[in-house]
Amino acid sequence: MIKMRAVFEKKDRAKYISHLDLNRCMQRTFKRSGLPVWYTEGFNPHIYITFALPLSLGYESSVEIMDFNMTEEVSEKETADKLNKAMPEGLRVLRVYSPQTKHTGIKSAEYMLTLSGDSSSLHSEFEKFMAQEHINTVKRTKRGGEKIIDLKPDTEVREICEEAGVLKILLRLPAGNEKNLNPSLITDLFKEYSSVSYELVSVERTGIFSDNGKEFL
Amino acid sequence: MLKEKIEKYLLSVQKPARYIGGEAGSVIKQKDKISVRFAFCFPDTYDIGMSHLGMKILYSLINEREDYWCERVFAPDVDFEKVMREKDIPLYALESLEPVKDFDFIGFTMQYELSYTNVLNMLELAEIPVLASERSDELFNIVVAGGPCVCNPEPLADFFDLFILGEGEEVNLELMDLYKEMKKNGASKREFLIKAARIEGIYVPSLYDIKYHEDGRIMSVTALEGAPETVRKRIIKDFDKVYYPKEFVVPFTDIVHNRVSVEVLRGCIRGCRFCQAGFLYRPFREKSAETVCGQAQVLCENTGYEELSLASLSTSDHSEIDGIIKGLIPYTEKEHINLSLPSLRVDNFSKELMDEIKKVRKSGLTFAPEAGTQRLRNVINKNVTEDEVMNTCRTAFEGGYTNVKLYFMLGLPTETDEDVAGIAELAQKVVDLYYSTPNRPKGKGVQVSISTATFVPKPFTPFEFEPQATREEIMHKQEVLVQSVSSRKIKVSWHDPSTSILEAVLARGDRRTSGAVYLAWKKGCKFDSWSEHFKFDLWQSAFDECGLDMKFYASRKREYEEIMPWDHLNYYVDKSFFIRENQKAMSAETTEHCRGKCSGCGVSREIGGPCFD
Repeated sequence: MIKMRAVFEKKDRAKYISHLDLNRCMQRTFKRSGLPVWYTEGFNPHIYITFALPLSLGYESSVEIMDFNMTEEVSEKETADKLNKAMPEGLRVLRVYSPQTKHTGIKSAEYMLTLSGDSSSLHSEFEKFMAQEHINTVKRTKRGGEKIIDLKPDTEVREICEEAGVLKILLRLPAGNEKNLNPSLITDLFKEYSSVSYELVSVERTGIFSDNGKEFL
Repeated sequence: MLKEKIEKYLLSVQKPARYIGGEAGSVIKQKDKISVRFAFCFPDTYDIGMSHLGMKILYSLINEREDYWCERVFAPDVDFEKVMREKDIPLYALESLEPVKDFDFIGFTMQYELSYTNVLNMLELAEIPVLASERSDELFNIVVAGGPCVCNPEPLADFFDLFILGEGEEVNLELMDLYKEMKKNGASKREFLIKAARIEGIYVPSLYDIKYHEDGRIMSVTALEGAPETVRKRIIKDFDKVYYPKEFVVPFTDIVHNRVSVEVLRGCIRGCRFCQAGFLYRPFREKSAETVCGQAQVLCENTGYEELSLASLSTSDHSEIDGIIKGLIPYTEKEHINLSLPSLRVDNFSKELMDEIKKVRKSGLTFAPEAGTQRLRNVINKNVTEDEVMNTCRTAFEGGYTNVKLYFMLGLPTETDEDVAGIAELAQKVVDLYYSTPNRPKGKGVQVSISTATFVPKPFTPFEFEPQATREEIMHKQEVLVQSVSSRKIKVSWHDPSTSILEAVLARGDRRTSGAVYLAWKKGCKFDSWSEHFKFDLWQSAFDECGLDMKFYASRKREYEEIMPWDHLNYYVDKSFFIRENQKAMSAETTEHCRGKCSGCGVSREIGGPCFD
């Protein structure tokens, strides 16, 4: 059994595939590819696939991570090619390699937000928003209670860039098992805060990182 | 672009993946190289429509032609429909995401009567006039329908330009070829329809004039403009060689039947007198075991599905069923594919078959004795004996099953309270059988579920003359049944008869009922098959306003001589045969299945030779 990791993109129409549906979709993609993948050995054998970080419905990504096992050695390129031939529109494997870190090594992720509207006034509005002393939001706890959390210390604005009619914001947020913040927490708050009207055109996950901000491999 | 507009609102609705296409196996073509575009519409939601096998066959068939492009269209669920209406998003097809109103053909498959209002709703969402008479005479936007319900298309006559009777594999392409040719020559829609009516299997309702007696019965049907007096359905002669898709569209969301289906046979040898499909799809034809296994394997490879189903009206009636299963098992086991065998009969249900079924369905088994006493089973020609039901249940119990579901109909012709009580007695015998089976599952109780449906008399059956039981009669029968059950191991479920009453009205309605369908939809009826959307009172007032009586259609006994709204359509089975079968039913006489002895229904004459060698 050979452990493998695929990095794939989820774009265009494929962004509407829910996480649960994505698992089923990949099962069938592997089956169509004819690759010698490993099946679980239970009462109901299925192809073993795990995803590193679930992606919210409607978000795009260029860095999705999926682990699987092979029963025979097939080159990384051939594996990627065969998978891509079987993939539906919008899903594409970018590379395949043998994993170096466990999924628990994921610490943060980056998201590119694209907002349409008057980009320069949006820009200053967003800077004002981020300059607040606290950026508090209410998060539901597992027990059904509510907890106030401050997003400010965990939200890192990596880049802001004004383009014609759109503002692009690159955010880095904690991700993984210990602490996971969805960029929707920020976008929802900013929607309430902003006096400049805009539309959130897209959110794309652009990076997944391990300790010290190194690329997760 | 429409796509951007759709995407803008997609995340605000449930299961958006249903509305954006892009599934593996969906066919994208270059629009400028296409001469005829066909929008294949299923008048229900994606989840239901995507499970339908006929659509998969015809979709692939049309798309095999380089210059024809078939796309899929479904009814939006209520939440998305609201968005579409508010934001001016017209009904669109899932491949190109372009409006349905840009298509040459808009084709609906009519699988059940309670989807009729959805057609009207979809046409309106498509911004196409709902009434055929209000659409322009330009040769474009031809609205057509096929499927089992069009054996009596009259309640839909006002909305469609033409109907396709019988099997579509050949005639659909002939129709598109004719369109392509006439479009080139600048013909009008009317000219096209007159020509199309000469293709066998095409029924153009506007070319038939219907006259009525004062009491509402039909007096005459007159064909106009050289259209044939009777329209003959189409069938595929060599069923083993008929086109079958090599790919299916594989949905992202979990739909009702999410699997590979291979059609193993068409038609049915049984002749159950209540069953419309059993007569409509005659003659009985099979694919060879080799063809079935080959098609199954290709489809499994191309779709990646983990479940394979052998589809037909009665799969165990295939003469080579054992060969098919033996041929498939080595492949399905190696590839971890579950084999599912729906539609098995209790009289030929073996231990081996059950072992196969058990691999997929662990929950329980479902049988349909349909009636509680042998007398009534003879009336409906459901030639299953109590012994056979018991033997099958014993096999099931010994195989570890503890749940058995039994299907029955209430309101069958000649049914008495004794027959109804017989349902409970039969269920009780199954319970007793469980406790007398030595090898039953240890330490578990048994659960027998009785599920009853209200009988709906359908065209092209020996019961097409029969009145449907009234609401009061059905409620009395339900009461009798509940009273007759004494064990807590038996659970009874039934439906409100309202939907069955409407189904009966629409199934045997004449052209005047078109007006009531239109009015009911105007009043807000849609998704009538979904109990949460069904509004019987609106239907009632729609019929009232049209001056029509639902009872005239549902619960009126027809004389054999009466001209039925569908008498000018030829589905190969003679009316004289239905009359004979109706008479035999009244004296509880059975008719042997077609393989045992030909009952002379008329099909062999139509196909020019015996159905079986």
